[in-house]
Amino acid sequence: MKRRNLLQSALGTGGLLSLGGCALNPLGPEVAQLTRPLNERIEAWMQTNVAVPEFAQNQVEPAALLVNSFNGVPEINPASFSLTVDGLVQQPQQLSLGALGQLPQQEMVIRHVCVEGWAAIVAWGGVRLGDVLRLAGVSPLAGYVAFESADGYFETWDLRTALHPQTLLATQMNGAPLPAANGAPLRLASPLKLGYKLSKWITAIHVLSALNPQRLGTWEDQGYEWFAGL
Amino acid sequence: MEYHHHHPLWTRALHACNALVLVGMASSGLQIYNANPVFGGRSGDPIPSLLTLGGWLAAGRWWHFGFMGIFALVLGSWLLVLWKWRRERLGRGGDLGAIRASANPRKRNYALHKLLYTLMLVVLSLALLTGLAMYKPATLWWLSGWFGSWQQLRVLHFATIPAMALLVLCHVLLSLKLGGLRLFRAISW
Repeated sequence: MKRRNLLQSALGTGGLLSLGGCALNPLGPEVAQLTRPLNERIEAWMQTNVAVPEFAQNQVEPAALLVNSFNGVPEINPASFSLTVDGLVQQPQQLSLGALGQLPQQEMVIRHVCVEGWAAIVAWGGVRLGDVLRLAGVSPLAGYVAFESADGYFETWDLRTALHPQTLLATQMNGAPLPAANGAPLRLASPLKLGYKLSKWITAIHVLSALNPQRLGTWEDQGYEWFAGL
Repeated sequence: MEYHHHHPLWTRALHACNALVLVGMASSGLQIYNANPVFGGRSGDPIPSLLTLGGWLAAGRWWHFGFMGIFALVLGSWLLVLWKWRRERLGRGGDLGAIRASANPRKRNYALHKLLYTLMLVVLSLALLTGLAMYKPATLWWLSGWFGSWQQLRVLHFATIPAMALLVLCHVLLSLKLGGLRLFRAISW
């Protein structure tokens, strides 16, 4: 009698646990709605304006930087390339690569982390996004920045991280010009955001006072977290 | 009607809560793991969906980050309480000797039990710390530094699952051996 009860309990528990996987999945969005706002608040609070410690040049891992593409590699003519900067700015900009090259150039060796679970230490070179935004004169009403890419990829950031000194519009990677597959001529680089927030092939930057909840980003609109801070 | 000795309600509730939260963290963790298995990267072997919670990467993260707050709170509280009572409640070096040498079976069994759940706390604390290090490797850069390279960090985090599975199995087998279903009833309903 006792052994039968034991077997029943074991089977019941085991069955429940494995069924749970399939039966509980539909509740996922509710769980996210309950907890994500608080999680993102805590993330934003934890993140400081202080620079993240960087790695040494000899720690760079070129082979570890895998390439994920949302929609193939777009063809961009660098000679005719022009970066649009508009929205809540005093002087909207149309910046050629030459004009961007005139701004102070920065270098950093930081860790790129993909939401898939892999990471790579990369040496990025380029101009500070903050310098570009200050060139355009960001309005005090601004809170967010939207990024458009040549392949149709879309991203939005909080203004604070966009202005962080380690957020770059990168044109150099691992000591050489940025390759096309990695986002040439212009991509975002930062140690403070997950890889999917680091748009490649950037063509336009819009400064906003509010976000459209239906259009937070290519991957965010499919269920990934918006703040995605590291 | 048989009299069942029950642990206090708060003990039983907390034990059940812990079990559920751990299953949730493990199964959603395995869902996340499938996006990049530890050996073989994206082309490595995935965990069967029977054991995963979420269905795909984004949903696995909803569950994993949904439960991590409760997990951290309960583990933290448990560690605080047990640290205060560490002389009586936590496993110690002396317990290993007691298991081998003591003539008193109750003393041996209690020593083994304490050792098991102390090890559980160590493994779970490691899971929490390595998880935090992967969650915030830049903001908590000093923490991720403790665990070496990124690969070492994620292997350690993942390894807490087979480690916990083994400890839970030992715990269940020991409890059943000592008190069978009566003991199970005492911690459940």
